[in-house]
Amino acid sequence: MDKLIVCRCEEVDLDTLVEHARQYDCSARELKLRTRAGMGYCGGRTCRTSIDALLCHLTGSAAGDELPLKVQPPVRPVSLSTLGGRLES
Amino acid sequence: MSNMRIVDHPILGKLEERPAVSFTFDGRPCEGVAGDTIASALLAGGIRMLRVQEVTGTPRGLYCNIGHCCECRVTVDGKPGVRACLAEIQPGMIVESGKPLPQRKELAPHA
Repeated sequence: MDKLIVCRCEEVDLDTLVEHARQYDCSARELKLRTRAGMGYCGGRTCRTSIDALLCHLTGSAAGDELPLKVQPPVRPVSLSTLGGRLES
Repeated sequence: MSNMRIVDHPILGKLEERPAVSFTFDGRPCEGVAGDTIASALLAGGIRMLRVQEVTGTPRGLYCNIGHCCECRVTVDGKPGVRACLAEIQPGMIVESGKPLPQRKELAPHA
């Protein structure tokens, strides 16, 4: 195993996250915006807690203190046709 | 297609006989049993790679198996984004693996 992937959707590995967090002294949100970790298809449901925990470990601040990785709708994948109603031809 | 299905589990006991269901995965004939999800049928048949990461092309497969992580999404009968761990196999179902998305040449890692 050559790298440990944290965010599988966007393929962001642990080294990249640690590097960015150290270099830019990031909040969890800034780390997400810089690396795209937690911005993929699953909406961060798989790796959000890992990223929060990683930052907590690196900076010593509790996860979600200032700028947490917020959870916003939709909470699960929904097709646009389900949301808006499919146009029947 | 190999059969890696556990038919005699130390805790769950013996697997009851169920009718076979045929479908295809990337054009390859596959067989599962009634009640299988796409992912469980393919796993029993020894197929673990269900798609690739759209940009990097690295392999992806079953991960959470509860419809949470969306790692196993495949195209079913032309409908993309179907989670293989939740969708039950149907006779004659055409399942296709997730392919890489086209990339701008200067960004593509394999160009």
